[in-house]
Amino acid sequence: MKIGVFICHCGENISRTVDCPRVAHFCEGLPGVEYSIDYKYMCSDPGQKMIKDAIHEHKLDAIVVGSCSPNMHERTFRNAAVSAGINPFLVEIANLREHCSWVHDDVEAATEKAIELVRMAIEKVKRDKPLTKIKVPVTKRVLVIGGGIAGIQAALDVANAGYEVVLVEREPSIGGHMSQLSETFPTLDCSQCILTPRMVEVYQHPKIKLLTYSEVVKVEGFIGNFKATIKKKARHINEDLCSGCGLCITKCPTKKKAYNSFEEDLAFRPAIYVPFPQAVPNIPVIDETVCMYYKNGKCGMCVKVCDREAIDFEQKDTMLVADIGAIIVATGYKLYNIDKKTFDSKYKGYGEYGYGKYRDVIDGLQFERIASASGPTAGEIKRPSDGKEPKKIVFIQCVGSRDPSKGISYCSKICCMYTAKHAMLYKHKVHDGEAYVFYMDIRAGGKMYDEFVRRAIEEDQVKYIRGRVSRIYEENGKYIVKGEDTIAGVPVEIDADLVVLATAMIPHDNAPTLAQTIGIPYDRHGFFNEAHPKLRPVESTTAGVFLAGACQSPKDIPESVSMASAAASKAMILFASDTLEREPVVAKVNEDLCAGCFYCKKVCPFGAIEVKDITDVNGIVYKEVAYINQGVCQGCGTCTATCLSKSIELAGFNNEEIFAEIAAL
Amino acid sequence: MTQQKWEPKIVAFVCNWCTYAGADLAGTSRLKYPANTKIIRVMCSGGIDPVFILKAFERGADGVLVSGCHPNDCHYNAGNFHARRRWDLFHKLLDFVGIEKDRLQFSWISASEGKKFADVITKVTKDIMALGPFKAYQNMNSEFTIEFPELEAVALKEMLHEEEVSDGRA
Amino acid sequence: MEELRKYAKELLEKGEVAAVIGYQQVNERRTKPIIVTDPADATKLVFNEYCLNNLSVYFTRARIRSLMRTKDKPTKLAITAKPCDVHSIIALIQENQIQRNDVHIISFYCHGVVRDFGCEFSGDYLASKCITCETHKPLYYDKIFGEDKVTPQASDKSLAKIKELEKMSSKERFDYFKSEFDKCIKCYACRAVCPLCYCQRCITDKTIPRWIESSSHGRGNFAWNIVRAFHLSGRCTGCGECDRACPMDIPLSLINRRMAMEVKDLFSFVSGRSLETPTLVGSFDKKDNDEIFM
Repeated sequence: MKIGVFICHCGENISRTVDCPRVAHFCEGLPGVEYSIDYKYMCSDPGQKMIKDAIHEHKLDAIVVGSCSPNMHERTFRNAAVSAGINPFLVEIANLREHCSWVHDDVEAATEKAIELVRMAIEKVKRDKPLTKIKVPVTKRVLVIGGGIAGIQAALDVANAGYEVVLVEREPSIGGHMSQLSETFPTLDCSQCILTPRMVEVYQHPKIKLLTYSEVVKVEGFIGNFKATIKKKARHINEDLCSGCGLCITKCPTKKKAYNSFEEDLAFRPAIYVPFPQAVPNIPVIDETVCMYYKNGKCGMCVKVCDREAIDFEQKDTMLVADIGAIIVATGYKLYNIDKKTFDSKYKGYGEYGYGKYRDVIDGLQFERIASASGPTAGEIKRPSDGKEPKKIVFIQCVGSRDPSKGISYCSKICCMYTAKHAMLYKHKVHDGEAYVFYMDIRAGGKMYDEFVRRAIEEDQVKYIRGRVSRIYEENGKYIVKGEDTIAGVPVEIDADLVVLATAMIPHDNAPTLAQTIGIPYDRHGFFNEAHPKLRPVESTTAGVFLAGACQSPKDIPESVSMASAAASKAMILFASDTLEREPVVAKVNEDLCAGCFYCKKVCPFGAIEVKDITDVNGIVYKEVAYINQGVCQGCGTCTATCLSKSIELAGFNNEEIFAEIAAL
Repeated sequence: MTQQKWEPKIVAFVCNWCTYAGADLAGTSRLKYPANTKIIRVMCSGGIDPVFILKAFERGADGVLVSGCHPNDCHYNAGNFHARRRWDLFHKLLDFVGIEKDRLQFSWISASEGKKFADVITKVTKDIMALGPFKAYQNMNSEFTIEFPELEAVALKEMLHEEEVSDGRA
Repeated sequence: MEELRKYAKELLEKGEVAAVIGYQQVNERRTKPIIVTDPADATKLVFNEYCLNNLSVYFTRARIRSLMRTKDKPTKLAITAKPCDVHSIIALIQENQIQRNDVHIISFYCHGVVRDFGCEFSGDYLASKCITCETHKPLYYDKIFGEDKVTPQASDKSLAKIKELEKMSSKERFDYFKSEFDKCIKCYACRAVCPLCYCQRCITDKTIPRWIESSSHGRGNFAWNIVRAFHLSGRCTGCGECDRACPMDIPLSLINRRMAMEVKDLFSFVSGRSLETPTLVGSFDKKDNDEIFM
């Protein structure tokens, strides 16, 4: 076998700490190495040409590239090799950048290590076998998890392209946080006015199967061939019969039994309810925890008034299973809970601001509801405690965000904008009111965004104070906000009527659980990880699972929408062909030697291993062996390590190859 | 030639999805750690055979690290759970037959834990430095190989199943 | 004894089983395995405290298996098994080597066996596994004979040795095991006698690539003995046949026992005790011990 070795300088990224010419020169002398060279940028066009030319000129059978991580350019070099007639699996990458030059300072030690890494790759490539990609069929149906604006956009895009969509929403209605907003920045157009038509479109779309009040509980399979189990929680309403007249809601005697979570607990709702008047679908839900029927078996008022006989107290949760080709996760965010009392251990609350203690210290979403024409105050700015119009209002930005001591180091990105919006809405409605904003920095990057903030300051006379608030306490019906103006260098004290905290955006509590269900990674906050921060921002590292919206990191509406469309197009790219090519890294059983203990079957996470009968000449089964379904195998290799007689090999990472790497140490 | 300071040889068997990516992140973040460890990439921590560790010791490794995705975060859902049982038992077995516990170490390092990767490698290197060369294992064949030095080469070729076997075999 | 012979004879005559795997007396203090296919030979069967062999090892032998395969004959095999041998059968059933329906277990109330042939049956010469035995009555059987008698008392020397080793430093333990493993001549008697070593090709015979150094010198011996013990971790039922078979007296079942203790500690699992419990290898608990992982 003739091997070519190509050592990349990566500009100076590798050559600064690794003596690349020396590595290349050393490799020249190794058995099997026909050609060895170093070059400034192997991944560049001239670099790739150099590889192709060398393959032709020296009749190379395999190549080793000493460069950046295989996660960066393995594909580039494999493609180069393929165009020169070499099987892509006879290309090995020695990671000289991320695992060597970038992490070591000493040139001597780094060069020694680089040589060893390249040697290991050479020994592996010697034993690599040519492999061909596996073709698997694709189910052309997308599962969208989350029915906020991102999920709605993604579902509509995919459905409008002609593919089927299953849209799963946890709440009784789609719409998400956007449906709670009063107006949107920087145009101040009504949020519901632009959202509700889309919600209806989703509901009426023939290609979209909408499952509200449902959760994804299990995902099996792999790209193009997922199987999702969805739990449809019991609404206790027969959806087919309900006409959405709402009589049951108005007649329900438990008027003020539960906080209305759509109104951010600023109002109450009965036991049977729709979250908000424009809900899609407009079908109520019975809250078992407050409904009197579930308490004492009596009442049943809703049953009496419903002439469609849609109420079904006996309804049970049902499980649906769907074949899915791609998954778009768009589960959104929630607000950082700043109340110490209900706080989990991960973040430290803001007890000093009195949230949860003072009814007039509220968060951004609560202000949205107060400012909303459909909200509990019908759009009049009234404070929750006594319903009076606040004459002095204080907004505090970065509550939770950018504060590592409270557990969150990131910027929530949208608070600067929505606080400016809140202050403007307030000023537009309370003309004689005073609005103050405490800020750390104003981050208003975006089309018309900075202009919007300037408008709040200059036209609407919102007073911006650069500094933090140390504490808030109540005195004579006022809330004394003590802070600091760091520009003037003086302490500030404001006797406010209402305080609005722009709390951080965080993922939902169950985001890690969902990530584990689907099998995608997430960061320490619970945001889902993208496959590459710059080049693959809407893909997760799990093939066929895409991300949209604030579940990946804090985002505003236009960003969520564009990410959703991008995720939808990624799914549609997948659906453009009937089959899809899979990496041939799959396991295979040596049937002659398999003893049929089926430990492999027990450990296989994908159920890819089946029992195969081996018969003698008379057709009598004389042994059972393991058989691996290559379409289902994902190539983890757990079976290979479990197999006691070593009768299973994982293509691309077979034991011989790994032994060779060990031997090259 | 001046006497060189002994540097430990360490092998890290890491999974492709979490720890390998975590090591990449350590690089992208320009975190520094000792250069003694060489990484062997496998797809999943569930696919690492305990014999790999014995082979590494035989080939002169002074220490071995096995690292994968955190429990519940496995790219393959459950590979690391099977690995955890396997390694717990194997570690206990090696301990019982007298191989110091720190010679073989384990960690869960996610793709976002570049810092942890650098810290773990630094710690493992320090531990192995403190234990010194693993002569006890490496020299197990010494009488044998001093008498027949060529047999060492035969053993290696045999391990790799290379066609031509050393002339020394006769 | 006569009951056993009569029962076996009937099984064979009725054609319920293809063969009875049992013991045959050689002399007063020695038995040997016998495969009875002819009902007339059932009179040779015995059961006593000199029935040392764990006969379940024969289930995975090709020639015995072929008895189950012929079209016109019954497919069942009967076996005379001590309660501890039943553990091995359970393990074999769980590992798909034989089906429960294919085996007819003839077992006994057991009161212990001797350590080796030729020994007198008393506390001093009691087999090590019998000292700590907790299953004098088999866990699964199709027919049971005998009466529950008391096992002679004896001290648990193997446990004492384990405790002694645990107290040693790593280096001392390494030296101890090295000197023990050095004795290994790689005859693989331990493998041949072990009911759970049924692989058609053992890992040590795999040459592409070579998993375990073939030479019977330091490293090769060390690797073989470690891999043997590891492959049995969580599987070994503690029958102790490896100890009896080893011509060099390497304390094989000592390591097996120590690993079984670890398995019990860590996972509350004992191999070969229940057909319902999942095997240790091949299952996991999300709450498994996570101590060793940084």
